[in-house]
Amino acid sequence: MPAKRKLDPILTAVMANRLDGIVREMSNTLLRAGRSAVISSARDFSCSIATADNQLLSSAEGLPGHIFGTQMMTKAMCDLHDDLSEGDAFLHNDPYLGNTHPADHGFLVPVFFEGEHMFTVCAKAHQADIGNSVPTTYFVHAKDVYEEGSLVFPCVRIQRDYETIADIVRMCRARIRVPEQWHGDFLAGIGSARIGERRLKAFCEKYGKALVKQFIREWLDYSEQCMVHAIRRMPKVQLTNTGAHDPFEPILPEGLPLSITIDIDPDKGNIVADLTDNPDCVPCGLNLSEASATSGVLNGIFNCLGPDIPHNSGSFRPVTMKFRENCVVGAPAYPHSCSVSTTNVADRLVNMTQSAFAALGEGNGIAEGGCGLGVGMAVISGTDPRRGRRYVNRLMATTNGGPASPMADGWVTFAIPVIAGLMYRDSVEVDEFKYPIRIASMRLVPGSGGAGKYRGAPNQEVVYGPRFDKLTAIIPCDGQVYPARGILGGMDGSLGRSYKIDARGKQTKLPNITTVTIEPGEWLLGLDTSGGGYGDPLDRDPERVLHDVLEHWETGDRARDIYGVILNQDPEGGLVVDLKGTEARREEIRASRAS
Amino acid sequence: MTFRITIDTGGTFTDVIVSDASGRFYVGKALTTPGRSFVGLFNGLTAAAEQMGCSADEVLKQSDLMIFGTTRATNAIVTRATAKTAFLTTEGFPDILVLKEGGKFDPHDFSVPFPEPYIPRRHTFEISGRIDAEGGIVSSLDESRSRETLREIGEQGFEAIAVCLVWSIANPEHELAVGELIEEELPGLPYTLSHQLIPILREYRRASTTAIDASLKPLMRDYLNQMESDLRSAGFDGELLISTSVGGCMHVHDIARRPVHAVKSGPAMAPVAGRVYAQREGMGADLIVCDAGGTTFDVGLVRGGELVFSRDTWLGQQWLGDLVSMSTVDVRSVGAGGGSIAWVDVGGLLRVGPQSAGSDPGPACYGRGGLEPTVTDAAVVLGYIDPEFFVGGAMPLDVAAARNAITRIGKLIGRSAEETAFGIMSIANELMIRAIQEITVEEGIDPRESLLIAGGGAAGLNIFPIAQELGCTRVLLPSTASALSACGMQFADIVAEQSASFPTRSDDFDLDGVRATIEQLKAHLASAQDFAGTRIGGAGELSVSVEARYEFQVWDLEFSIENPVFVSKADVDRLVNAFHETHERIFAVRDTESVVEFVNWKARRITRLDHPKHFGNGHQEADRMPDGVRGAYFGADGWSETPIYKATEFPPGFVVSGPAIMELPTTTIVVYPGMRATISESGHFHLHPETQQESREAVVA
Repeated sequence: MPAKRKLDPILTAVMANRLDGIVREMSNTLLRAGRSAVISSARDFSCSIATADNQLLSSAEGLPGHIFGTQMMTKAMCDLHDDLSEGDAFLHNDPYLGNTHPADHGFLVPVFFEGEHMFTVCAKAHQADIGNSVPTTYFVHAKDVYEEGSLVFPCVRIQRDYETIADIVRMCRARIRVPEQWHGDFLAGIGSARIGERRLKAFCEKYGKALVKQFIREWLDYSEQCMVHAIRRMPKVQLTNTGAHDPFEPILPEGLPLSITIDIDPDKGNIVADLTDNPDCVPCGLNLSEASATSGVLNGIFNCLGPDIPHNSGSFRPVTMKFRENCVVGAPAYPHSCSVSTTNVADRLVNMTQSAFAALGEGNGIAEGGCGLGVGMAVISGTDPRRGRRYVNRLMATTNGGPASPMADGWVTFAIPVIAGLMYRDSVEVDEFKYPIRIASMRLVPGSGGAGKYRGAPNQEVVYGPRFDKLTAIIPCDGQVYPARGILGGMDGSLGRSYKIDARGKQTKLPNITTVTIEPGEWLLGLDTSGGGYGDPLDRDPERVLHDVLEHWETGDRARDIYGVILNQDPEGGLVVDLKGTEARREEIRASRAS
Repeated sequence: MTFRITIDTGGTFTDVIVSDASGRFYVGKALTTPGRSFVGLFNGLTAAAEQMGCSADEVLKQSDLMIFGTTRATNAIVTRATAKTAFLTTEGFPDILVLKEGGKFDPHDFSVPFPEPYIPRRHTFEISGRIDAEGGIVSSLDESRSRETLREIGEQGFEAIAVCLVWSIANPEHELAVGELIEEELPGLPYTLSHQLIPILREYRRASTTAIDASLKPLMRDYLNQMESDLRSAGFDGELLISTSVGGCMHVHDIARRPVHAVKSGPAMAPVAGRVYAQREGMGADLIVCDAGGTTFDVGLVRGGELVFSRDTWLGQQWLGDLVSMSTVDVRSVGAGGGSIAWVDVGGLLRVGPQSAGSDPGPACYGRGGLEPTVTDAAVVLGYIDPEFFVGGAMPLDVAAARNAITRIGKLIGRSAEETAFGIMSIANELMIRAIQEITVEEGIDPRESLLIAGGGAAGLNIFPIAQELGCTRVLLPSTASALSACGMQFADIVAEQSASFPTRSDDFDLDGVRATIEQLKAHLASAQDFAGTRIGGAGELSVSVEARYEFQVWDLEFSIENPVFVSKADVDRLVNAFHETHERIFAVRDTESVVEFVNWKARRITRLDHPKHFGNGHQEADRMPDGVRGAYFGADGWSETPIYKATEFPPGFVVSGPAIMELPTTTIVVYPGMRATISESGHFHLHPETQQESREAVVA
């Protein structure tokens, strides 16, 4: 498929996989050495390797949202520091300088071999707290960066000659909540980057500089060729799609309307994504940094081009993004806040992009995935009397059903479109061990996924509350007004909801974006969203519907009413598909639709 | 005179090795008898005994130790033929086995269906009662409701129960109570309590390991009981140990109680054998160890002379399969072996496996009613296997049946029998090459820098072209290659481990408590080691380790405690410092300001069994001429009259250039054109390309 290569194919594959292996080892370090649950359990971090000339080279199983902008961050490091040397490390969380949002602390280490800067490794992790004016890392209400209040590090040196610059640590400890937790995560981030450095030095040692450089060049070219090849197989077409973020009272009473236009040109082998037709920046934390907008669109495009394309600067080359100054998508104007830049609007962007491809007909595109950081993904904080100190952490006790595709039902542990099932989930035991909360239940809801020939994954209900003292939850939820949409006849996913349950068991509905404080004996109940369906539910294989009912993915009522599948008791007390009845029932539904 | 017997019962063959007091190995091989494994075992033993000039009965009676490996557990899991198992979980958390811990490989791949849970959702039952993180009881277990649930489970005909309750590791009271209720309501029904099997934090990995264990109990209990009683009736009076996933062995009664330890029984031993052979041949410390059996092709690694272990062993693919969270030798399997069935798909493509003809009926050439063409049939048609000398002549093969089966599918693709057979071999090679690449290339390891050690009855048929495709220039085929896993068991040790949870902190270290905990662990191991100490082993080596972490961390680091004595503050400082060092070695940073939490204490006793010192047959023959000539087919090279060398072993320094076929009683080595085999000092086969490589292209054509 690609142009002829000078390196032999086995060696190329070995080297590319070795780099992914190094990234996995960095990730393992961060996971195992991290302290906050958001890092050590949920794996809300990504590691990557960029070249010395700032091209993303390798990222293994990193989150697209985290890694597709690594090259922008390493570029800032090179631009700002003309005295890079071995033993340096930098902290970067500035969304106006190539980072995603301030909650993602990026640890950058330039890797030198024989005196030459060969690579930059990046370990980037969502922090439990970043010193915002309120205890959340997703601050929707922040009207600008000043109200947001996070400590911002525009690629600041934190180590020189492998020694930590203590001033920076003191600054952070003075301002970030639960400084011991932060400091542990800080060490884990540096450790991860240093592990990457060690291994890359060994990599250069093994193959020699010349071969490594040749590999980098050829690997990026190969990746570009794979991408071009995939684009050439598509029709020449312009795809347009719209979508919206939920209302946010009182700033966005109608929500935030969004649009994207994608021009696919198989002759030139390129794609142009135009994001200019979007609203001006908004006075809240929903603005998308360039890194977040770029990765959201790339993410949606990769979802529709199929696997087997390496994700690096080489394969990004054929894709051009158009942004407009002072626009909510991709070109925020200072001092607008990008606090929630990685999720809400970015999730809608992924959904709009991947579902736009449905216009190419059956077999194309992906339905929309469940979205929204609800009760199960709230940032919780309070005091833990067991240890006599404060706690703060972002939970990962959500599910949000994945979208159906032309080939499969939605992925159950999807989380949100920018995560796409990659992150881990919190363990109930780990959450309860680390934080003074009790999780009362966590269960999937039968019959909740968007129906279709392929079904969206169901949503989940989670209930938790504090054990000893009041708990504050800050919830930046989307997906409570506008659902994840089904495509090509598939039905929409269900909407999310948040409730407070008081000591007498009374349930009160909470606003979508809210801050709530509850006492012991009170609970938060969250229903997250389910994924959209793909294709007509009447085309779903009746045996799959039977399996869904037996395994409690679907209900008997929905099998009959929506899927048109009639199930009968068999003599042993089990269920069987009534084929004739099903055929008749499906005809009946089709007829009633027509009338 | 006493013998040691090791046995590996695979899907197709049962391999038997008997070592005598001088360390000499005798290999016997027979078809596995799934109905009753003892029959295959006895047949294999008979084959080995014949070489020793005695009977199987005599060998059995004079053996003091038998180590037994079996793929029974794995096969049952893969084919979902385990017990109908109920999963009992804490009320409110029915989806633990569905949700797992999340994780997925490719964020852009939406074609993969979400995996079904190990135990169906409709077999999941919620149990009331809740324990908190400190072990306090939040709400009590409702006994009468639990009884009702258990009665329902009984009525629905469940065969085993897995119990994993939230925080049972902090307070086992509810799990123990459920255990008692099961004994009362459903006496005799096998069950597993998670805190007893694997007391680790994180409900999913504990539940998954527990579910797998429980689901294996009925069949493994029956299987092992039957085996033991058959052995006893046959006069075997020695110790019976079972090969485990960690590359050691456990007493048969222990494994019946914890059958999850047997999921890699057998395959985990091939790298153990590979390591010993490579060391003794002086061929390096980085190895790829392949075991080509009748049903599966297993690949494991040795890096820097050490076995590669994994604590996250996925049965199936990572994240898609089911997790076994105990330390296991990392061995990957693909369904490709001598018994793999060749077929033509709807698109007209020739395919091989993953279906296997197994041992019954087996390949068409076995003449036991099998009609499907297999890789072994292809080897027969190609002239690689002498039909009169298969398994040392013990099992004559039906060439006509093999040819008929191959011809039949050859017609579907318009090819001659030999072309089809050669195609089948090539496709099987590809599957094996991909399996090796997965564990090497995809982990960034270059296979060309490793020694390839090949074992298993089928290894000699195609290891040459596989090595060539991978670029491996060094291949070692031990003289006992056909029974590699059973060989590994000859070098295994008895590993007994006991752990206890006793959390304490560096800033408030409970010296007395830790001392008492370690004493308890030692006492427990001492009581459990009677059989090992009195009958077969010397004194065991005891080591103590601890799992620790910095405050706020949730993953523990295990490190061994050099001198597990705790009397003073200095001992604590030593321990804390050892943790800092371990953390820095693995994670590149240390945090001297942080409190260190010590959680689980482990004692491990390794009883070193006396390992055989020499292992070859010992007697040697002079240089020799071919014993005959047979037509064999090598792809583009066509048919050629190929010299055949037949022996029970070949003399050191003996060199054979391809094309040639070397036949030993339990294995056949095809020396392809352009390749060469050299016999080492110890009688093992070193395989490598000829220096002149003109005809190389033809081999992989």
